[in-house]
Amino acid sequence: MTKTEQILKKKPKKWITNLIFTFAIIIAIVYSFSDSRINWKRFNSVGSYLNAMLESFADIDVDFLLGTGLYRFEEGVLFLTLETLAIGFLGTLIGAILAIPFSFLASTNIVGPKFAKLGETFLIIIRVFPEIILALILVKGFGMNALTGVLTIGLHSIGMLGKMFAETIDNMDRSSIEALDAVGANVWQKIRYGIIPQIVPELSSVALYRLDINVRSATILGIIGAGGLGATMVLAASNWNWSVLGAIMLSIIVMVLVVDGISSYLRNKLV
Amino acid sequence: MVAHLNTTKYWVNDMTRFVLTNGKSITKPFNKIWIILGILIVLVVFFSYFIQYDPRYIVLSELSVLFEKLFTPRGTRTWSDYFAYMLTLKDPLISTLQMSFAGTIMGSILAIPVAIFAAKNIAKYPIIYVPMRFLMNLIRTIPALILALIAVMFVGIGVLPGIIAITIFTFGIMAKMLYEVIETIDMNSYEALESTGANKIQAFRYAVFPQIFPIYISYLVYIFEINVRSSAILGYVGTEGIGSVIKDNILYNYDRVGAAIIVMFVLILTIQFISNLIRRKLQ
Amino acid sequence: MIKFVDVVKTYSNGVQALRGINLTINDGEFVAIIGLSGAGKSTLLRSINKMIPITSGKLYIDDVEISTIKGKELRMLRRSIGMIFQSFNLVKRMSVYSNVLTGRVAYHSTLKTVFGFFPKTEKLLALESLDTMGILEKAFIRADQLSGGQQQRVALARALTQQPKVILADEPVASLDPITTVQVMDDFARINRKLGITIVANMHHVDLALKYASRIIGIKDGVIVFDGTNEQINDDILVNIYGRSLKHDEVLGE
Repeated sequence: MTKTEQILKKKPKKWITNLIFTFAIIIAIVYSFSDSRINWKRFNSVGSYLNAMLESFADIDVDFLLGTGLYRFEEGVLFLTLETLAIGFLGTLIGAILAIPFSFLASTNIVGPKFAKLGETFLIIIRVFPEIILALILVKGFGMNALTGVLTIGLHSIGMLGKMFAETIDNMDRSSIEALDAVGANVWQKIRYGIIPQIVPELSSVALYRLDINVRSATILGIIGAGGLGATMVLAASNWNWSVLGAIMLSIIVMVLVVDGISSYLRNKLV
Repeated sequence: MVAHLNTTKYWVNDMTRFVLTNGKSITKPFNKIWIILGILIVLVVFFSYFIQYDPRYIVLSELSVLFEKLFTPRGTRTWSDYFAYMLTLKDPLISTLQMSFAGTIMGSILAIPVAIFAAKNIAKYPIIYVPMRFLMNLIRTIPALILALIAVMFVGIGVLPGIIAITIFTFGIMAKMLYEVIETIDMNSYEALESTGANKIQAFRYAVFPQIFPIYISYLVYIFEINVRSSAILGYVGTEGIGSVIKDNILYNYDRVGAAIIVMFVLILTIQFISNLIRRKLQ
Repeated sequence: MIKFVDVVKTYSNGVQALRGINLTINDGEFVAIIGLSGAGKSTLLRSINKMIPITSGKLYIDDVEISTIKGKELRMLRRSIGMIFQSFNLVKRMSVYSNVLTGRVAYHSTLKTVFGFFPKTEKLLALESLDTMGILEKAFIRADQLSGGQQQRVALARALTQQPKVILADEPVASLDPITTVQVMDDFARINRKLGITIVANMHHVDLALKYASRIIGIKDGVIVFDGTNEQINDDILVNIYGRSLKHDEVLGE
């Protein structure tokens, strides 16, 4: 055997491990499907469902959209959409403001590595709580209204934003703080002139990103009664009311696209 | 009125106009921060109108009562019952993991071709990548729970709607993250391959794919983590999983709900831990 | 006047950066400190404004012994000493004007400075410092949008706004291109001549040090091995300081 052939033989047979790996994944997926009782006949009706759906989508009840005519303003899609937006916006704002002190407590640069671990753990606990569960709990205390929604999103955002804020603070450039030290600044002055100008743009960018996600969450929270489009949507779904569902989904898509657009635009300007 | 306006102008000028000893003068531009603050305040006031609530319904003591109910066994059940119940949650747990796993993998695979066609550096003509991106954005606007709701309307309850919802959701996110990554990679090797006569697919497989594969896996794990979290509650709208357990028991059996919450907690924490480990190793 | 008496600095990891420094710098001098990296230049410079506290010995600034001062007294010491850094150390996202104004924070109460209330006279002082450095028109531009040389001038303006008696410079031109380097060194010379401010600068480029400073201090292994005028320097002394002949990046050239 030539030298080349010898080396070729020694080459690690990666393809075997790849094959086994792919096989394992396929088996796992098939196993996942096997457990569900798939009613294949249902798929036939999917076609007719789609037709009915698209027809009803086109037939939009303008009164319902705006909350005029037979509908109260508060029942109209316009109001509900703005309510959802309000929940997302105010929740994010409250969360962002409250997250700042918590992020200080979770940041090595400010309180040192040991205490920061503690702060981080606290934030992790808040974060792991799915928003819906949080909302379910808060509904008991604050009632089935938009206020619960704001509080849920606010609390959840403290966890999410707290961690990202802490990361920003830890990655900060310390050279300007060194200069402020040399000039004779005290702690507060160093924060005001050294830390804040650096982190505020980044924090705002993170918060805007969170706003995007929170507005989507706000639509879901309505499902358990925390205000917004969710409740009406579930009602429509259980009644197979495609036209209502269509109007709502249209509204959601428009709202999310708008918020996404504004958020991306502002974040680009901040960088 | 005119005199009043004039004095205001001088006052503002006094704050912003500087004249140095050598005669030069310079004006300080208006600080934009006040505008931003103003807009924020207007928005807060505007949106607050929509948060309508009846103060009579705020009963804070309910919260502590609820906490007790969640985490202590109800009625005649004992603590061992409480923990035994957690073990019966094994099946919903597996359902949850199944949905997340299958959905994540399928969604990620579907995302690859779309991402390729949405990347500016591979699909060079706007007529190709613009509609792709629009499609992706459209899909991304719909939250996973709503997708699940609709899926249940179509195919009934069970694991399947959950898998469908997660697949679509994953597809949306992964496609966007993927095309952004593809756009940032080094195109030199791709061009080199194209010049040797390889077609686009071959060039992609040998030049682009090796560069993005670790990042792709990293994103996959990240999205899997997100999906485990959301699939845990998709059950609330009819798919299986821990969410449906909560929905079934929310009216009378708060202690079971509490047990389910704890199990969910542990699950998410574990997945998060593992995912962080894997992603750190991939760096 | 700055006076070192038997100053020793040992870091917590055991490294002895300064081993018995005796040095007196008088008002109005332009002193350049040269030596290898790690010889103790940075430590020496930073002990003057107590950014690095000394381990033993005495250090007098204007006949005040500084090893015990802290808190408000320390800040009052530092506000009259300006410091220029190799990487400029400006607050990148703030305007040039705001950066220069931060030179005055130690002159006022916390409350006023945190809200940005500086007296109009000091705001004018900041602008005039910028004018002295020739970059008044850049006053309200974001600091990181300026070139390297301009940023260092902002740093100089900040130092001038402190109305200092001494300016310390830690390799101030090491990050600049050759032409800008000469411009900034000229600025230092001008400040020293016209305003009588003492300059103590760590210099990486030996020929620059010789050209601009009236007094050269050579440090090797934490000890001063040369202290004299630039005329007294010759190649043998340089070899002694650096332990070898100069590398090409230690000489600016031309």
